[in-house]
Amino acid sequence: MIHTAFISFLASLLFIPAMFLLFGRSKTARIATCGLLLIFMALGAVLAGAGFWGGAGVGVDLSGVAPLPFVLAVDRLSAFFLLLICSVSVPVVLFSTSYVERHYEGMRRQVLWALLPLFIGSMVVVVTASTAFAFLFGWELMTLFSAGLILIDGDEGERRHSVFIYLLMMHAGAAAVVAAFFLFLGSAPGLDFATMRTAAATMPAGLRTAIFLLSFVGFGTKAGIIPLHLWLPRAHPIAPSPVSALMSGVMLKTAIYGVVRFTFDFLGAGPSWWGYLFLAAGALSGVLGVLYAINEHDLKRLLAYHSVENIGIIYLGLGASLVFLTHGAAGWAALALVAGLLHTINHAIFKSALFLGAGAISDATHTIDIEELGGLLKRMPVTGTAFLVACCSIVGLPLFNGFISEWLTFRSFLAGSTLGNVQAAIVLPLMAGVLALIGGLAAACFAKVYGVAFLGRPRSSEAEHAHEVPLPMTAAMVLLTMACVAIGIAPGFVLRPLGAAVQGLVGGGILPDAAFSMARVIPWVAIAVIGFVALVVALRRAARSTVTWACGLPGLNSRMQYTSTAFSKPLRRVFARVYRAERTIEVSPAGASYFPAAISYRSVRTTSFERSLYRPAVDAIVSASYSLRRLQTGNIQVYLLYIFVALVALLVFVRFA
Amino acid sequence: MGLMELAATKALASAAVLLFITVLMMASAKRISTCIVLFGAQSAVLTSQILALAFVHKSAEMYIVAAMVFVIKVLAIPLALFRIVERLNAPREVASSTTSSQSVFTAAGLILLSFYAVRPYVQTLGVEEDMLAAAVALILTGAFLMVSRKKALMQVIGLLVLENGIFLAALTTTFGMPLVIEIGIFFDLLMGVFLMGLFVFRIRDTFDHLDVSKLRKLRG
Amino acid sequence: MTPALNILQAALLVLMAPLLRGVIARLKARIQNRQGASIFRPYSDLWKLFRKQDLVPDTASALFRIAPVILFATTVVAAAFVPVLHGGALAGTTGDFILLVYLLALGRFFVLLGAMDGGSAFGGMGASREALVSTLAEAPLLLGLAAVAILSRSSSVQGIVQWTLNQDFFQLSAVHALAFTALTLVAIAETGRIPVDNPTTHLELTMIHEAMVLEYSGPSLAWIEWASAVKLNVILALLIALFVPWGMAAEFTPAALATALAVYVLKALLLAGAIAIVESSVAKLRMYMVPDFLGVASALAILAVVFTALMR
Repeated sequence: MIHTAFISFLASLLFIPAMFLLFGRSKTARIATCGLLLIFMALGAVLAGAGFWGGAGVGVDLSGVAPLPFVLAVDRLSAFFLLLICSVSVPVVLFSTSYVERHYEGMRRQVLWALLPLFIGSMVVVVTASTAFAFLFGWELMTLFSAGLILIDGDEGERRHSVFIYLLMMHAGAAAVVAAFFLFLGSAPGLDFATMRTAAATMPAGLRTAIFLLSFVGFGTKAGIIPLHLWLPRAHPIAPSPVSALMSGVMLKTAIYGVVRFTFDFLGAGPSWWGYLFLAAGALSGVLGVLYAINEHDLKRLLAYHSVENIGIIYLGLGASLVFLTHGAAGWAALALVAGLLHTINHAIFKSALFLGAGAISDATHTIDIEELGGLLKRMPVTGTAFLVACCSIVGLPLFNGFISEWLTFRSFLAGSTLGNVQAAIVLPLMAGVLALIGGLAAACFAKVYGVAFLGRPRSSEAEHAHEVPLPMTAAMVLLTMACVAIGIAPGFVLRPLGAAVQGLVGGGILPDAAFSMARVIPWVAIAVIGFVALVVALRRAARSTVTWACGLPGLNSRMQYTSTAFSKPLRRVFARVYRAERTIEVSPAGASYFPAAISYRSVRTTSFERSLYRPAVDAIVSASYSLRRLQTGNIQVYLLYIFVALVALLVFVRFA
Repeated sequence: MGLMELAATKALASAAVLLFITVLMMASAKRISTCIVLFGAQSAVLTSQILALAFVHKSAEMYIVAAMVFVIKVLAIPLALFRIVERLNAPREVASSTTSSQSVFTAAGLILLSFYAVRPYVQTLGVEEDMLAAAVALILTGAFLMVSRKKALMQVIGLLVLENGIFLAALTTTFGMPLVIEIGIFFDLLMGVFLMGLFVFRIRDTFDHLDVSKLRKLRG
Repeated sequence: MTPALNILQAALLVLMAPLLRGVIARLKARIQNRQGASIFRPYSDLWKLFRKQDLVPDTASALFRIAPVILFATTVVAAAFVPVLHGGALAGTTGDFILLVYLLALGRFFVLLGAMDGGSAFGGMGASREALVSTLAEAPLLLGLAAVAILSRSSSVQGIVQWTLNQDFFQLSAVHALAFTALTLVAIAETGRIPVDNPTTHLELTMIHEAMVLEYSGPSLAWIEWASAVKLNVILALLIALFVPWGMAAEFTPAALATALAVYVLKALLLAGAIAIVESSVAKLRMYMVPDFLGVASALAILAVVFTALMR
């Protein structure tokens, strides 16, 4: 029965797009098909849940219809990621039913609705693939469908450039992944995951290192670790909000799936520099991601940079796990891997909630520049509260899910001191300091975002006249935030199956009891805090509403509030070496420095990676291509000469080989 | 005598920690007087170290050395330096080319470097790792102070810290140098400080300031 | 018996917090040659504030009034983590120090938001500055606590305290000395005392914490004032418990508990005296000197953690 359910789930992801394209003209048909999509997504989530909590595996072999081995199988790790995809897709699709109706029409709307299930389907194929061909098939389709979804919004000017960079980097990463797979060809001809697993155990060390590095670079490009992150802040902001939610919340996680599959499942324990590489990438991405985010006031770009930061935190957990594996501490390796995977699903949930919130904001106020917002919590209470819960989750505050995964990561770092190795005993606890810094910066950034966008006075008339968005959109956000709180207060129900899921990946390590100590104390803390607050709120007297005091300053208006740029100025100044911004201040009329008519301030920051890493590389490739152009003379006789020379060389080679 | 024994062992055990703390505080200090006080504290720790060793090895010579260190390095030299600072009437702040936290990070790095450097010698020499590492850290910090501080007086203090480090290194590896050499070193040091004091006034009178980096203008 | 004692400990920290504030203020006044207000003045302040009516700016949302309550609730729960009279606390072995730090961060996050909700420039200014200080203080705080946690092989505050109780005071370990110095510097930043922030200033442009709460009045202000006093008390109690816990009751007889209380009061008085002396003799740092200050704390904390692996 599970088998038929799985097949019907997969089939639905094909025939529902067809239905959208054929019957999408009428509204009732569209709503009905949306409902159908929701039902099948929920079915997929139930299936994945059965695999995750129950351990039931299921598989589908489509090698008959495909030219190469194409098998989909759901083991515990795949079940976890499938659960992630489906359970996040349900609220996103629910959100889209209202969002897409309001913002798109005609053929564009139908195409968008058709591409959405196809996009989700490609991600499903990636995480359930059991052969390399199936995996790569889904991998490439993910990029294509997401690019298509981005292009739905138009392709003028800057958007085209961004999509081009996105496609370029995704293909470069895919090339590395393909190479990593193909290195298995010698020992596992069918490129079936099971044979690859056994083959990798007996491979020479050099080959294993090559596979490790190629998969690190390939999946790292997709995940968005620094310095391979350049496409993230370009591609995520220009997509429609539900698509951004899926890209940032779910698509990045397929890269995590890939890296876990390759490094933990296929390759197994390796030298300690593997773990340190992950730790370095995670630390760099975490710190730089949030530092770049602090500077942004475009809400979606800010959230995109935060995705880089959270991927960094996931990589920190994965790196710690690898270090533990190298030194044989399987139990702590399990803890660290569980921390990384739990942060994966936590990030999927709260990042999607944040992007959906951004979509709701843009729906209500037609802008996502937080410098023009303000006072939205009073005007959009449900969206505001959901966004607040998501903010608290991403900052990693207790009672929300982000804290649980960050605490597990901290706990695994502290355990590093129990290893005999001096290097690990020093590096791992210091990474705890890096994680603390990342958490502090994230708190500052989201205090800025929420404070400027939702609190205080509205800074524009659109913000002043904003009103709550329709029910499907708010329901979607509330669903996601309820999941945040559920995992934050009762994490045990996710930790136990995760522990079982990673057992095979870390050489049989069992999750130590220390992992569950938070599950024992957080419910009490929640009861105490929420109970106290409820008691005080219920028993206190009403307040009196007056004007803002502000030390008696009269005539306050919204321009006198702190802007987002102003809020982040102290941090920008402390970390000035990271930003290297170019500031220009123009005073007009020139020379009137004490009583100017107008002052304009411009600060442009290009990420130093673009300047020092990418530009030289791109220039080198371009100049190499120019020099190769000399081969193309346009003269037919020269081309005949090339053929003649090749023929002679082949004869010589065959003769002497 | 049980209390004395206890005091001696405690002094030996905790001296390294106290020296590390003085090193870090000197790196982060912002006023010259703070540095002078810290130097005095450092020398006091060294005195307690010598006293403890003298008690353990029952050597009268070392008691004399301890007395000399106390009188010269804890009392005389800091008092002389305070007198110079007062009569100079210059701003009391340490003119440094690195910020406070950068200096502390550098000092921390130097401490770790000294641990790393003495590791192979600990087994062969049979000495305590902490004390030798503290000695090397004092030497490196003294050199760092001389390099990064621009005031002439701070160079003197850096030199004094350097000498403290050398003295401690000799103490750890050989349990004290012969008394005659000790006396010689001390008088050299005392003369050096007095001469430096004189020169500081001459520099100030000739050039009107004490910023060593401005002496670069002298080159042709 | 033990749960009742632990609840009493937590209640002690919460109810005696304004008294600690009053004692510090009185000591400061005496050092500065003033008479000073009564040490019970903070209690009468709280009583006065609780009886007044809450004034809420018309631009503020519901978050404005809830934030102070959340701050107080999280700080009180944090007080349940710290052993005072004996080597145990209400949170027991699950009282993780990371949870303690992040509970305080939760309260601070909501106060930051409440400040932005006031709709004035001062709220934003206070929030922005507090964000700077708390961001940079987070790393040395966690690293300093991690250093002692690593030594004691336990991640709960109770576990660390119980391990320290079994150690010899004169075994002055470099890790403890460095961690203590780092945590003292961070404590100054976290509780907003001189030289990081002046808690008694009236000049808005010099404020960090005070500017955040400028719009609050009545019971909301009372919750905030009380919460910051409790936070000071909790952090001092944490420093005492982690570094100098000797004197805590080993068995639960009235004599032992009374001795433990007296010893704790003595230690707290010494720390209060130290705070008063520092506040009267050191100038407040310029705000952009505070990252330097916290950088020194970070270097010390990092060194403490590295030493846990070196000086085994």
